[in-house]
Amino acid sequence: MEIIQLSWFQLAIGFIILIIPGAILWWYNTGLNKKMVVACIRMTLQLLFVGYYLEYLFEYDNTWLNLAWIMVMVIVADFATIDRSGLQTTRSLVFPIFGATFIGIILINLFFLEIVIQLPKFLEAQYAIPITGMVLGNCLRSNVIGINDFYYNLKENKERYQFYLASGATRQEALYPFFQQALQKSANPTLAAMATIGLVSLPGMMTGQILSGSSPMTAIQYQIMIMLAIFSGTILSVFLAILFCNRTVFYENDMLDDSIFKE
Amino acid sequence: MILQGRNLSFSYGDETIFRQFNFSIQEGERVVIKGESGGGKSTLLRLIFGFETPDEGEILYNGDPLEGPVLREFRTQCAWLPQDLNLGRGTVADVIRFPFTFKQSVSKPPDEEQILKLFEDLGLAPESISKSFSDLSTGQRQRVGIALCILLDKPILLLDEPTSALDEESKQKAADHLLGTEHKTVISISHDPFWIDRCSRIMDLNQT
Repeated sequence: MEIIQLSWFQLAIGFIILIIPGAILWWYNTGLNKKMVVACIRMTLQLLFVGYYLEYLFEYDNTWLNLAWIMVMVIVADFATIDRSGLQTTRSLVFPIFGATFIGIILINLFFLEIVIQLPKFLEAQYAIPITGMVLGNCLRSNVIGINDFYYNLKENKERYQFYLASGATRQEALYPFFQQALQKSANPTLAAMATIGLVSLPGMMTGQILSGSSPMTAIQYQIMIMLAIFSGTILSVFLAILFCNRTVFYENDMLDDSIFKE
Repeated sequence: MILQGRNLSFSYGDETIFRQFNFSIQEGERVVIKGESGGGKSTLLRLIFGFETPDEGEILYNGDPLEGPVLREFRTQCAWLPQDLNLGRGTVADVIRFPFTFKQSVSKPPDEEQILKLFEDLGLAPESISKSFSDLSTGQRQRVGIALCILLDKPILLLDEPTSALDEESKQKAADHLLGTEHKTVISISHDPFWIDRCSRIMDLNQT
């Protein structure tokens, strides 16, 4: 099966459909039309840039270059995580979240790419880049939910945290209920997606593989693997991100540095 | 001297709460802190716990500055009853048992019989043990807090208005439990004449 190649003209026709959501958003005075236009332009430009870059990456397929691209993806995810979590971009958050996301991604990549798929070449671009992108995108979403919930819950319920400290808890022990809730909240969307996958939605990776000529069974095998990678990667990165940040955002008396909050 | 404050100064923004304030508390004393509303009574307890840092001066615990490992050691010796206890959405049983999971916990987890006996003394219905803690009234939460302070059996108690939501009979029993053991050091805030009478010394912040 050959994939039908899209011309730029055909793709441009696809944009016409935006008239419908645009009209609905305008009719209800949501104030989102400008955002919609900006988001569509950004999405198109970013993907065009990535498309050209990936063609270059795939052509050269150099392990160090692939690793450098993964680093760039993690750095962008790092800043986006902090910004969307409602926190300030401080050194006490940037470095720990970068470290957590990078370790999480590398561990998941090494396991799935090198042990499960057994790539003939280390970090081969055709596999490493798309799989990293999928796992990282989900890590970003989970990190935002988990980190936001952890620190804002702690801010709103600091009396509870202080009560545990005053009852003899170590910082880690006093933070346990906050950690528990942050993990529950960040894991729930992925667990819900896993529970309905195939029944309610056909995931993008599987659809893409089928469209490009893979057999549905091969596509499903990859999809199962990617779901396992996403779930493990998200939990690991949220856990490490909060764990690493907690080493830098508390004072010696175990009180949280309030300057990390935007509000 | 188990606790000593030396030349403490503390402000919230432009508002000065303490200026060159000194205090000392002996082991086994039952001190009640009195003072006007906003006069720094709760702040003093927060300074002792290290939740606030003084602008100047220091607090000593057994002669050592109350910071770092000394502060952590001090907290393991304490039980605290804040004015409004917020301990999440778990059941009352969960809330009571959680502090006994701490590595440094000096006492053993209580069994249900012990908890229910205390509940009876403090005027809490036995079925409240399975209720969600956040569904309890402020008064009921305070009683659970008192029960927890008693069960934790720590040598130092810091109590903020411990009898404000109790009836006469429960007050008597709470005071017997909290103040009845001689070796305990109790630092409390109270406006209740009954509680003040049972304490050994008044620390009046208006006169400092």
